[in-house]
Amino acid sequence: MKAIWTAALLTALATGVQAQPQASPIRPDQASFRELYKELVETNTTLSSGSCTDAAAKLGARLKAAGFSDADLTYYASSEKPKEGGLVAVLHGSAPKAKPMLLLAHIDVVEAKRADWTRDPFTLIEEGGYFYARGVADDKAQAAIWTDALIRYKTSGYKPARTIKLALTCGEETTYAFNGAQWLAQNRPELIAAEFALNEGGGGMLDASGRPVLLAMQVGEKDVQNYWLEVTNPGGHSSRPVPENAIYRLAAAVTKVGNYEFPVTFTPTTRAFFGGMSKIVGGETGAAMTALLANPTDAAANALVSKDPSFHSMLRTTCVATLLDAGHANNALPQRARANINCRIIPGETKASVLAELTRVIGDPKVSITPETTTRPVAIEPPLNPAIVGPAKTLAAKYFPGVPMLPVMSTGATDAIFLTGIPTYGVPGVFGDMDGNGAHGLNERIRVKSIYEGRDYLYDLVKLYAGGK
Amino acid sequence: MIATVALLCATSLPAQTLRPDQTQFRSLYKELVETNTTLSAGSCTDAAAKMAVRLKAAGFTDADIKLFSVPDHPKEGGLVAVLSGTDPKAEAILLLAHIDVVEANRADWSRDPFTLIEEDGWFYARGASDDKAQAAIFTDTLIRLKSGGTKLRRPLKLALTCGEETGGAFNGAEWLVKNHKDWIDAQFALNEGSVGIRDKDGKKVSLGMQAGEKVYQDFRFEAVNPGGHSSRPRPDNAIYELAAALVRLGQYEFPVQFSDTTRAYFTETAKLTGGATGAAMTALLANPNDAAANAIVSKDPTFHSMLRTTCVATRIDGGHANNALAQRAGANVNCRMFPGDSVEKVRAQLVAAVNNPAISVAPSGEISPTPPPPPLTPLVYGNAKTVAAKYFPGVPILPAMSTGATDGRYLNAGGIPTYGVPGRFSDPDGNGVHGLNERKSVEGLYTERDYLSDLIQVYANSK
Repeated sequence: MKAIWTAALLTALATGVQAQPQASPIRPDQASFRELYKELVETNTTLSSGSCTDAAAKLGARLKAAGFSDADLTYYASSEKPKEGGLVAVLHGSAPKAKPMLLLAHIDVVEAKRADWTRDPFTLIEEGGYFYARGVADDKAQAAIWTDALIRYKTSGYKPARTIKLALTCGEETTYAFNGAQWLAQNRPELIAAEFALNEGGGGMLDASGRPVLLAMQVGEKDVQNYWLEVTNPGGHSSRPVPENAIYRLAAAVTKVGNYEFPVTFTPTTRAFFGGMSKIVGGETGAAMTALLANPTDAAANALVSKDPSFHSMLRTTCVATLLDAGHANNALPQRARANINCRIIPGETKASVLAELTRVIGDPKVSITPETTTRPVAIEPPLNPAIVGPAKTLAAKYFPGVPMLPVMSTGATDAIFLTGIPTYGVPGVFGDMDGNGAHGLNERIRVKSIYEGRDYLYDLVKLYAGGK
Repeated sequence: MIATVALLCATSLPAQTLRPDQTQFRSLYKELVETNTTLSAGSCTDAAAKMAVRLKAAGFTDADIKLFSVPDHPKEGGLVAVLSGTDPKAEAILLLAHIDVVEANRADWSRDPFTLIEEDGWFYARGASDDKAQAAIFTDTLIRLKSGGTKLRRPLKLALTCGEETGGAFNGAEWLVKNHKDWIDAQFALNEGSVGIRDKDGKKVSLGMQAGEKVYQDFRFEAVNPGGHSSRPRPDNAIYELAAALVRLGQYEFPVQFSDTTRAYFTETAKLTGGATGAAMTALLANPNDAAANAIVSKDPTFHSMLRTTCVATRIDGGHANNALAQRAGANVNCRMFPGDSVEKVRAQLVAAVNNPAISVAPSGEISPTPPPPPLTPLVYGNAKTVAAKYFPGVPILPAMSTGATDGRYLNAGGIPTYGVPGRFSDPDGNGVHGLNERKSVEGLYTERDYLSDLIQVYANSK
């Protein structure tokens, strides 16, 4: 899960004492779910030593046991990447004219080193009201909730009006390995064709005392584009420096990029987000958000809101230097100096417009700027569709009364970008902690109560979208 | 090696008709240049073995030749050869040359860097100048003396070593001084490092004789940061802090200072140069704080380097993934410290130039010794002048401090006064030494060879 809107609240909310919920007896359906979740989490799916293919097979066996036929289960993997496979399952709808919907979750996880963790990262450990393991939050909670929902729909005899498709994919966490969502979109588009998709990227936020503060539905994300700056020079011996130097010229260009701020730009999603957020945070910052919405060039309001790095990123395209490399010997003047500039482009701007802006800001024809080749499609912000947002809010009022729901734009990238033509929404429901729950980091954890509540909410939400009986 | 001055490119010369001894020399030079001796992909050991084969063919016995290498660095070997003298009491003269070369990337060069290409009066190849020209001349001189049966009073020792260009790898000269000083012991040594100047029209302006050199010291600049995801940049950033420090470093100038050698050098050069630049040198000698004079003299990168400590960023590194904020960004800053300046003094100057406590500045790698410069004696300096009058009539010899570091620092520290012999000339652009398309004047190489061959015999027969 690469959504990072949650961190925005770190600076905005007061701290309190962390609650330590008592373990309470769970319902039989929760016990079944817990078993599935445990099996999935305990199946290592890191790129280095795990297998998504194994994990997909285990979930497929459970779906089959629940009554799914072989024809409804499609296992897929590229022959070059046999361990990075996945699964598509289909629960057929009863209304022939209703378009399908897609549930998407990735089953791969970020690497985890046993020596660095307090507990074994591939054993599900429940402790102090939390589940601990790599993937308990990102993204095996979602994968388990979707798979469990399909199993329960099947065994309960529920007949959705829409066909419900489930795609479990590998490679969300890895940039250059096999990406299952991309592979399906390119090779088996009919298998995942849908009117809309539900994905990670949303959720909910608890304050430091464990109180739910807001629910988030992810609607849109920024584009990622790397640009390489490069300066070349004839070089020479370092005992005889000359005024023209590739490193100094590059350093000057990088400094200009560092000093530059892209202008504040709102999208429908971020407009709604900051509108809601201004009420939640209130005070000076809330007022500044309101002022900025009225006038995006309000420098004072911008300065206040942009103090928070997450708000800062949601307000604009950002470009930041992430890699530096120059020189070939300690005793030689550099012949080549390079820097990677990692840009996160707000919907509405393009890779070309950002290139033009970087070129203008650097203003030095001796610094070449080359966009890195990418196979990623352009990010298109899905509409704030009332047919999607409405049921999510209505149902949230029942499960999480009084907790506001905001649309959020992810400043990072999810697999949603690969589902070209399928508006993809990051669902609310599973609340996380303000510290990011160790996702991608050490001792990943998620509150047990959040999982069970989110599961109940999402089970009903999918049924609302799918219709039928 | 290092030196050179500024004024420009040479004219095209017609290919010469070679004497038979020159043809033989060219074949040795070609073999040496075409033997890749970079640290990454080459072998000095191979190159030394090839030179040993030629020495033996000329009559050197196995006892006269010592091929050496250490087990941890099997490809970084070298050789020592001895041509006995007639006077058993006479002290030897050492001829030192390194046979390793700086890395060269074929893709960046116009021609293959490991093929000797003669074109328009130039030899092109990595090492064509630094330092395989000298290594070839010294080896060829021993071969000719041996095969010609020439008797000399003093023994002549030849040391071909690896590792001069690589800080931190095996250094053959250092190893010999520490482990087999007896093999190379000598009254004095002849080495690379001289600064001869050829002007933009190809005219030889001055010969150089190196006596003393600046001190090589690397420093590491580093900025650290907690990092994070690149989709959420934070105000503080290791790469930006480093970049700002490097911009400041690029704008910083160390103050002008003189040593006895550079004072003599600039006094002579002022006369040779004349005009506004000559007058500026004279003014700067009288007042090192004369900013206007400094600006004029320092326009020339070599003069600029001889007037002060220089520090220049040569490598940078930062970040660990294109989608993560950098947790570390660093630069190697290569300093050539003016003789007499301490590492701590230069570090303090760098810290002041950067003016940001978030940037750590620390010396890195080996801390070099700072031996006193070798004395300019009549034996060494006088004879070099006398023989030069024959080969380079009217071209004065200037004593010079080398702005770069040579292996002479190990020999000087080991008690063998080491001089950069005259004979080599550099063009205003530095001849691509350590850079792209390294080249050496064909005429210059053959003349240098003739001069050094005579000078070495004069030294070897001297009392």
